[in-house]
This record gives sequence, structure tokens and C-alpha cells, in this order.
Amino acid sequence: MTAALLEVSGVGKRFGGLQALSDVSLSVAAGEIVGLIGPNGAGKTTLFSTLVGLHRPESGSIWLGGRDLVGLKPHRIAAAGMVKTFQNVALFLDSSVLDNVLTGGLMRHSIPAARDLARRCLERVGIDSIADKLARDLSFPERARVEVARALCTEPRILLLDEAMAALNHAEMDAFMALLRQLREEGLTLVVVEHHMRAIMALCDRLVVLNFGQMIATGTPEQIARDPAVVEAYLGRSAA
Amino acid sequence: MIGGVYAVISIGLTLVFGVMGIVNFAQAEFLMLGMFVAYYAWAWLGLDPLLAAPLAFVVVFLLGAAIQRVLIRRVLKAPEVAQIFLTVGLLIVLENAALLMFGSGFRSVSTPYQTSSLQLGPLFISVPYLAAFAMSVASGLALWLFLKSSWFGRAMRATAQDPMAARLMGIDADRMHMLAFALGVGLTAFGGAVILPYLTASPTVGTQFAVLMFTVVVLGGLGSVAGAVVGGLAVGIIQSLSALVFPIQLQNLVLFVVFIAVLAFRPKGMLGAAR
Amino acid sequence: MSGLSPRQWTGLALLAALAIALPFAFEPRGYGIRILCLALLFAAMAQAWNIVAGLANQISLGHAAFFGIGAYTSTLLLIHFGITPWLGMFAAAILGGAAALLISLPTMRLRGHYFALATLAFGEVMRVIGNSWGGLTGGPVGISVPFAQPSLALMQFRETRSSYWLMLAALVVVTLVFVAIKRSRLGYRLRAIKENADAAEVIGVDTTRTKIIAAVISGALTAALGTLYAQFQFFFDPDTVFGVASVSVRMAMIAIVGGIGTAAGPILGALFVIPLEEFANQVFSAQAAGLSQLVFGLLLILVILIEPRGFMAIGPRLQRLLRKGDRR
Repeated sequence: MTAALLEVSGVGKRFGGLQALSDVSLSVAAGEIVGLIGPNGAGKTTLFSTLVGLHRPESGSIWLGGRDLVGLKPHRIAAAGMVKTFQNVALFLDSSVLDNVLTGGLMRHSIPAARDLARRCLERVGIDSIADKLARDLSFPERARVEVARALCTEPRILLLDEAMAALNHAEMDAFMALLRQLREEGLTLVVVEHHMRAIMALCDRLVVLNFGQMIATGTPEQIARDPAVVEAYLGRSAA
Repeated sequence: MIGGVYAVISIGLTLVFGVMGIVNFAQAEFLMLGMFVAYYAWAWLGLDPLLAAPLAFVVVFLLGAAIQRVLIRRVLKAPEVAQIFLTVGLLIVLENAALLMFGSGFRSVSTPYQTSSLQLGPLFISVPYLAAFAMSVASGLALWLFLKSSWFGRAMRATAQDPMAARLMGIDADRMHMLAFALGVGLTAFGGAVILPYLTASPTVGTQFAVLMFTVVVLGGLGSVAGAVVGGLAVGIIQSLSALVFPIQLQNLVLFVVFIAVLAFRPKGMLGAAR
Repeated sequence: MSGLSPRQWTGLALLAALAIALPFAFEPRGYGIRILCLALLFAAMAQAWNIVAGLANQISLGHAAFFGIGAYTSTLLLIHFGITPWLGMFAAAILGGAAALLISLPTMRLRGHYFALATLAFGEVMRVIGNSWGGLTGGPVGISVPFAQPSLALMQFRETRSSYWLMLAALVVVTLVFVAIKRSRLGYRLRAIKENADAAEVIGVDTTRTKIIAAVISGALTAALGTLYAQFQFFFDPDTVFGVASVSVRMAMIAIVGGIGTAAGPILGALFVIPLEEFANQVFSAQAAGLSQLVFGLLLILVILIEPRGFMAIGPRLQRLLRKGDRR
């Protein structure tokens, strides 16, 4: 195993009286696909938002490729190579799909280069046919894919996907997982929040389980599935 | 002392924002209207401005309800730019309508107590100031009781916190908005009436108070009634202190600077938004 | 994207021909052409406002601050040092940009109503300073631009028609700047901020820096236009050039009436609003003060209620209506 690309240690975040994250530590190796799971309200989205700098943690450190990211603004973290997608999809609704994706490319490229890159990203995600549509007019699954294409267009080293597969049907999900595997082959590292256990189990090399803002387990999908604490906290309840 | 009055005229502004999420740029114009109602009550009916204050409240309350119904309601879900410029347009219309109706002259009332003052130990307190302060405190307390204990008050606070939930509980958000807006501008008009004994009314008087009110409200936290009280007192103190140091023209400047500084560093106010 | 369709080129050429022919329809020193000049100037001002408000949705109510700075900078340089307004205009732009930077630093985190309030207060700060620093500005009585022999070098003309060319050029320049920004990386970033600031940050847009750059450009252009105003009116006072209603709101209103965020909007808006206001002044001034301002306010309310996206949205809306009619 290579050295960790992303190294999170002891991260805590509180909103008023609510301790949203406490002492979360995890490390992600380059080229890995890590799944982040846990019941609703466990802190998965908060962790993502904290990692990309939308929230500033009260404690702990976040290292990406040997650089401490705590206190950096999100655009600096994006420049360092870590980007997330938004769970409720945060597109630029009054812009075209192409312009949405293109904006992600402007961090490193001129407009024409970003436009070429954006077209390639749309192709990869399989939505190049809707490039000229207004984001407002898209269906929810389409929007989620534009969101992924836009994140890809920033050319990240590590991509945090927050329920990008939520609205996909089985065939679409399989295609999407194939895409993620292929991106990994090309050197991208992925952290995935997902509720579909089938997808998570099939896709991820390793799982991290959050509950009430704390990390309660980590291991291969097989180990996690057998972990009594996880079954208690998460699988047990969702199966019920 | 003056702070108490500032608090009351500003509570109206904070109420409108708290419940509807709209900054009413025209709020100070309702203060002007309150002054004029009180003035004409004095000129035609011989009513003392302090007694006319409830009348000013009622008249402007009704006007406010109508304005909310016809204008404000339509932009509640519109982009902010529409909300901002609707109330800015309202400001221009009210000011110039007043100019047309009342003329550009300055009007003041004369009351028997206008120049008298009370001696309290070493302090002399001018009676009109004291009366305005007392009336302000009384109306502020009345509002507080209303918000705290009446069904309308609780429903209004519920609407402010979560319009959707309030609707589910059977509260008509539309009516609450109308009530909040009418109450807000009515209260400001009330404040306008009680300060008439020591100020002059003119169609442009609102402009002088606009920044003051916004400073009060921003200091206390937009949308927080308790904040407006604290902010009002704070602005009263800032004004008195700056009067000692700066020439009269620059007093407003001090307020502006405080205003921008607060917005920049504590945009949610000193008390930290109570929403 | 950079090219225009042939139809757009034809439209543009027609517009240019009209702009060139129009002044010859008026008395060269008459009242009509003065109105036209003011309309062009205000179109340019609304266009400058449009850079920040239209593209990034940062609604400023304090652009009068930059406008007044521009008017005073060139006029004071001319009075005290005999510096030509052409150079004065550049000095004005630099000071206006600096002022925009100064006010941006504390206000950039603010959005919506809060930003509007803070900029409003900034404009008022400048007005109070202008009124109370009599030694520099002449105070509330105002200040006159020294009148010399008409000469291009001093930006003073015998005929108003010459001013028309200057105003037209200013409008063209500001509009080109607006269009260039809109199509540049800056424009994409501003739009991203307008539509979703958090998402913009996460995909690598430095939202603070982007907003400040736009504000500085907008402030500098507005200040330069303040110089043109001073040279056109020859006399002004703090309440006029730093006024909320006379400058800040009027700029914004013109852009809104025409169509906020579009290049043509401010031009359409100004050609509509300014003559209408002058007309109202002419008709009503005999009867009562305030009536034309009342009309101004009512118009603003009407536009907001009927079509907050302005004239530019009415065309497509009509087309849609017509199409619906056809289908029936």
C-alpha cells in the first residue's frame, strides 16, 4: 500500500450545542475507493463539507499530499486537488450544462481549453447529449451527473461524491460504477457516500462507518458486514 | 433616554425583517407619516401628540396592512433585488406623496410642557424627552406582552421561525405577514408621534432617521426585538458621546461608521441573531 | 461564442447608424440633445452598476460614492492644479477603484439585503463627508467647474452635440467592458457566484477575489463617468452627486427597468427612464414639487411587480404569448 493521500486526524466540528463530528480520523491511500457509510445524521455530509473547507473544524488536522488544509478556503482546497459534489445538487441553474461544467475547468484553464475539457467530462459521464440544456430544465438524475462532471472538470486528485447515485436505476448505477472504477484506474482517488449497500459493497476497497459524528469501524466491506457494532448501529436498523 | 425612542421606532423594522425576511427600506417614511398624523390631530383637533400617538398607530397600521396586501406580498418569494427595490420605490413614493400633500415646510406643535424640565437631583430632564421615553417604554412593553402571551404573538413567532411548520399548524402565514408588517410600521409611526413635541415634521424627516434605525437594528441583530432595544440604547449613548467630541454634522458620520463596522464584523448583531 | 450571428450584426449596424444620425435631429445646443446626453451617461452608469449587480447579484445602493468621488476628483484637480479633465478622469477612476476596494474588504462576505444596507451607508458616509468638508468640496453650496474657452483639451464644448459624442463613446466603452467581462473567465465566475456561491467556491472559484475585482472595475468606471458628469453640468453639490435617489437608486433602476444582467438592458432603460423623468419634470413642475419623483417611484414599483427582469424579458414573453395564440 502506498502512503496516504488524504490523512484526517482528530477532526471535531460543533454547531452550537450539537457535536456534529468528534475525533474523526481516517486515511485514504492514492488510488483507493473508500465508502463512507452511516445512518442519516451521522455526519457524513458534514465531514465532506469540512474536508473541502466549507466548515472550519475546531480541532484536528486534514493533510492532503503532505499539506495541511485546515483554515484554507474551499477554492484553495480545490486547487490542491480535493473537490466534493453536493448531496442536494448545487448547480448553476440558469446556466447551460456545458457552462456549469466549464466553470469547473476555469481554475486551471482558459475558456476554450476548459470548454474542450468540459465536453470530455460530459462524455465520460454519458450526458454529452444534454450539453446545451439549461440546468434548471434537467431531471434529478441528470442534475446529479452534471454535478459529477463539473467536479471532474476541476481535475481533482481526490473526489468526494455525496450520494451521486441516489436517483439512478440499476442499469445506470452499473454504468456509473464502471465509470468510477475506470477513473480510479486513471489515478483518481474516491471517497463515496452512498445509501445503496449493494453499490457500496461492490465498489469500495474499504469502508468507514460513522455514527453520531464518531467513526465506529473501518475495514473491508466483508469485515464491516460482520462487525457487530456496525450491524447494531446501522445495518440492523436499516434492515428493520 | 433618546435610546428608548430609537428602540421603539426600530422594533418595527426588526419585526418586519424577523417575520418576513424583508428589509423595509421605506420604514422611516412611516415614522414621518406618524409625525404628520399627530401634527394634524393637534392642528385640527387640538389633540396633544402624546395622545395622538395611538391614533397614528391605528392609521399607519391600516395603511401598512393595505401596503402589505397590495405590494409586499407579491415579492416575498421574488429575488432579493425585487424586494430591495420595491421598498426603495415605496420610500420614494411615500416621501414625495407627503411632499405633495403636506408641502415642503417644517411643522411643529406647541405644547404647554415643551420647554419645561424636571429636576432630578443634579440632572435636568426635559419633559418632552421624558414623556417620549415613557411612552416608548409603555408601547415596547405592550408589544412584548402581545408577542409573548397572545395567540397572535405566538403564531407570529412561529411563522418567523418556520413558515412551513406554522402553515401545517393551521396558521395563515399570509395573515401573519400582514399583521407583522402593519404592526411594525404602526409602531414606528407611534414613535414618530411621541417625538413630535421636540422635533419638527417634514416630508424628508424620514431620511434623517433611516440610517439611525438601520444602525439600531443591525447593532442588535436584524430580526431580534430584544436586540433592537439594546441597539436603541447603544445608539442613544453613541450619539450622546459623539456629540461631546465631534461637531454636529459629523455625528451621523460616526453612526455610519459604526453601522458599516458592525455589518462587517458582526453581521448578525451584538446579541448574535435570535432569528 | 465570440461571434455574432449575421442578424445580430445587422441589428448592431442599424443601431450604430441611428446613434450617429440621432443628434442631427436635434438643435445642436438645444434641450433635446441635453436629455439625450444625460440618457447616454446614465445608460453608461447603469451598465457599470450592472457589472457587480447584474453579473454577481451584489445589489449595491452606494454607487453614488464612486460617482461623486469622480466628479470631485477631476474638478478639484482642474481648479487647484489646472490639470485637464482627461487626466482627471484617470485619477478619478483610480480613486474610485480604490474606494471600491476599501468598501469591498469589509462587505464582501455580506449578501443580499445586508450588502445593500452596507453600500447604502457607504454612499451616505461620502455624502456627509462631502457636505461637511467644506474646505475641500465647497460644502453644501456646491462647486463650479471653471469655465474656459471651449476646447477639447479641457473637455468643454461650444455645442452640446460634441458632448453627445463623448457620452456615446463612454457608453460604448463601458458596454464593451461589460460584454468582455461577461464572456471572460471573470464573467463565468461572477455568474457562478450569483447562482450558487458555495458550489462556486468548492469547484475552485475564489469568490472573494472575484467579487472585489468586479467591484473595483465597476467603481472605477463609475468614477470616470462622474468626471464626465461634472464637465457636462459645470456645477454640482454633494447632495446631487452623492445622492441615494439621484444617483445610486437611479442607476440601479435604469438597469432593472431595461433588464438586469444584460448588455442592452441599461441602454434601453436609460432611453426610457431619463426622457420620461424629464418629461414629467416639464409637465408637473408647474404644479408641485415632488410629482416627478413620485412618478419615478411608482414606475420602479410597477416594473418590479410586473416584470422584475425588465424590458429584455418582455420580448421573449410576448413571443411565448403569441406562439400560444397561434396554437389555438
